[in-house]
Amino acid sequence: MNVSLPITNPLRIGLRQERVIPPQCLVIFGASGDLTHRKLVPALFELYKQRRLPSEFALIGCARRPWSNEEFRQRMEKALKDKVERNKNEWDNFAKCLFYVPVDLQKEEDVLRLKDKLEEIDQKKATHSNRTFYLSVSPKFYGSGCKSLASAGLLGDPKRSRVVIEKPFGRDYKTAQALNQLVQTCAQENQIFRIDHYLGKETVQNILVLRFANTIFEPIWNRNFISSVQITSAETVGVEDRAGYYETSGALRDMVQNHLTQMLTLTAMEPPGHFDPEAIRNEKAKVLQSARLANEHEPWKCCVRGQYSKGGSQGYPLIGYRDEPGVAPTSTTETFVATKLFVDNWRWQGVPFYIRTGKRLAKRLSEIVLTFREAPVHLFDAAGGCPTSNQLILRIQPNEGAEFKFEVKSPGSGMRSRPVEMEFSYDESFGEPSDEGYVRLLADAMLGDPTLFTRSDEVEAAWRLYTPLLELIEDSPWQLPIYQYESRTWGPSESDQLLAKDNLLWRRP
Amino acid sequence: MSPQLTLQTPLQLPPAEIPNYLSKLWSNDDSGNKGSNTFCLIIWQPAWMEQKLVKSHRVNGPIIGNQRLDLVEAARQVVLDEELPHSTPPLDESVHSTVSLNKTEHKVEDLRGQHIDSAISDLKPRRLITLAPTIEEVNELETLVAAYCPLPEEGGGSSACGDVVVFRGALNALKHGLNIVEKVIPEKLPSWLWWNGSLNEAPELLERLTTSTRRIILDTALGDPDRCLNFLQEKIKKGQAINDLNWLRLRTWRETLAMVFDPLLRRKALESVVKLDIDIEGNHPVQGLLLTAWIADRLNWKLLECTTNEVGLLQGKFERFDKTIITSTLTPLPIGHPSIHPGAIVGLRLICEPNQKPKDAICVILAAESGECMRLEAGGMARMELIEEVVPSQSNSLEMDVARLLSSSRGSTSPLLASAAPIANKLLNLSKSN
Repeated sequence: MNVSLPITNPLRIGLRQERVIPPQCLVIFGASGDLTHRKLVPALFELYKQRRLPSEFALIGCARRPWSNEEFRQRMEKALKDKVERNKNEWDNFAKCLFYVPVDLQKEEDVLRLKDKLEEIDQKKATHSNRTFYLSVSPKFYGSGCKSLASAGLLGDPKRSRVVIEKPFGRDYKTAQALNQLVQTCAQENQIFRIDHYLGKETVQNILVLRFANTIFEPIWNRNFISSVQITSAETVGVEDRAGYYETSGALRDMVQNHLTQMLTLTAMEPPGHFDPEAIRNEKAKVLQSARLANEHEPWKCCVRGQYSKGGSQGYPLIGYRDEPGVAPTSTTETFVATKLFVDNWRWQGVPFYIRTGKRLAKRLSEIVLTFREAPVHLFDAAGGCPTSNQLILRIQPNEGAEFKFEVKSPGSGMRSRPVEMEFSYDESFGEPSDEGYVRLLADAMLGDPTLFTRSDEVEAAWRLYTPLLELIEDSPWQLPIYQYESRTWGPSESDQLLAKDNLLWRRP
Repeated sequence: MSPQLTLQTPLQLPPAEIPNYLSKLWSNDDSGNKGSNTFCLIIWQPAWMEQKLVKSHRVNGPIIGNQRLDLVEAARQVVLDEELPHSTPPLDESVHSTVSLNKTEHKVEDLRGQHIDSAISDLKPRRLITLAPTIEEVNELETLVAAYCPLPEEGGGSSACGDVVVFRGALNALKHGLNIVEKVIPEKLPSWLWWNGSLNEAPELLERLTTSTRRIILDTALGDPDRCLNFLQEKIKKGQAINDLNWLRLRTWRETLAMVFDPLLRRKALESVVKLDIDIEGNHPVQGLLLTAWIADRLNWKLLECTTNEVGLLQGKFERFDKTIITSTLTPLPIGHPSIHPGAIVGLRLICEPNQKPKDAICVILAAESGECMRLEAGGMARMELIEEVVPSQSNSLEMDVARLLSSSRGSTSPLLASAAPIANKLLNLSKSN
């Protein structure tokens, strides 16, 4: 590919017809944290540059640190250095919308002080009392945070106030259920936005468009034509500076219960009657109600856990998980998990869904692979010995797009077949790069559109699905042992055996 | 969705009593409703054509001020009856000026300002202020006021969310009433002015109503092209939020042209454009100029000159980044069944010829769904790779377009329009000076 080609189509710039957010005050709790400066403020600045934030907009950062407005602005500017340097004027204007209020959510007087500040900003910035509260705090404060907001009367108007809650929403089915009950006493369900940033990715949303805007896929999107589905989310990085959190969570809670399960629901759901938040979430919830581990009675037979050990090369050595700072040397937290599920409904009965995720794997990628059934009769010789099954691969990241693998005739006098790939790439087909997931999700939250947020019953059903595994890990971990795998490989060989039992292989992208 | 009427028959009050009445209207609401906290929309609603066609019995009353099909059809019939050129846009000033009124008195109900299009009422404007000039020289200013609420299509209903105020009378009477108009505009809410008429009319009123803090919606297809583009540029220069319905109608052209160059391998061709031809309906060049200007701005072309000939053909010369000269032509065409919007674009042709590889030349032709592009297909393009696309027609009513602007504008001018308008104005000015 010619590298000198412009990345962005100059005619494409500024053409998006996006919904504009109504006058709004966004309050971020945990404003001194990592997520705020790495994801949230950059996403808001992007929305500002795209002219999607209203002129009546204010962002209030809240945390316990005694910062001033100016200090908060400077810290955000520093954190977004590269972006600010390229757009100095826009940043200067955007920074005028940034405020900071020191708040400890556990202290009533602090929340009441915040309420006064919000009223003052309402007057100053004409934000019409439309407020979105973003809880980017430790998960243990989700419930009490909502309670404090409700006690101060800040969630009283269901049309004007809403609360966004980060993952993880609970640690298991019981805690998720208890948290749901608690937050639902503070606000109505339509005010609660449980965020899963994977749903903000264009390619994840494209699953719906690909399936329901085309007539060629839906007739074959079922057990009659599809033999198996693989969902992979692989990272090359290790635990980095998240050891404290990761030790209490592990790959199953951190990735599978939310991100990968959401991809599963979008892949397996029935078409909704119309494109409406509740209709879509109803269909997703139905998938989770029909989903089960491939072997619920002996769950260790359908799941493999792993932990990365040292690896890399002489020049670039990588340490193992147990040697990471903040990780116990005897830790049994999994950094890799592979499991097999079934969705017991008319569409998917008998089709295995294989899910895997891990840190320090060979490549960074997320993808969904639908493998079609083999042709009933093999009429032709295949270059590779036997014809390969057709595959539709939905690439979530990187190199977002889709590819379809199918057999064609190899050139020559004989009739030998070989597989080829037909490809669609977002980068090549569209004249502009896709937004980060948080850009879309923050905008949707402020617009009050819950389509891409997880409903209470979905969260609970997702936890319930993995309960046999979580119980096993808690009660008898020896039955679900941790296999070590070398850093920058595709995980423990036991995960290959999980598929080998079904005469299948993980796709090696 | 059908237009909605106010909840109650509007109350006619002396103009001076209106501000006081409005201030009490919400404080007396038993439910504690204080009205929606959204925006105020001031509408200049002359509806000259409708007034004349209703009063001459060519269409049925009442006068409502909204764009409707029977009105356009009746106006097209006037073009035929009065033997005007078939290419005359149906709502053109030349059409309604030929409609003569009967001397006999015919009292027609005038519901301008009370008949709210549901696209707009769905946005729950806090106050709708309609300025309704009459064709009769009635010196007295009539003022009407009522509360309203949007009724959902599926029934139910909601509490009152806003109010409407109508100022009706001859132009002079409206001018005298402007002080009262200004008093009833809520200070704390964003206010918009929708100038739903030609920019040539009532310049004093237009000037008074477009104060620096007000957001403006206008249509540069209505009025003298110089006046339209100068006004647009002047407001942009002052940093005032201005939205142009004529620019908004260009969105499918911009989108379709961008889509042609979305595939990575075609993007390079944008660096080798040598010719741009745009065909427009009739003689109103503003939309064509804005599209030319947008392309020139996006591709960093430098405007060198522009000339015009006796049939209104405008020929511009631009310089590319590599000093290559690009020619642009804007050709007015007489169309048998013209759009209601003067100067609507019929077709576009963009020719890209890389210097090094003439075999890689491409010719992009976009044609309006309602028109044809045979004229643009002629002229030796066969040797090039031909990319043809049909640009979908937009069937949105004027009110829907305005609602779209009200709901999607964040109170500033689109940067694309802000960059394109001065180039379009310069093109027109250069053509006049040469």
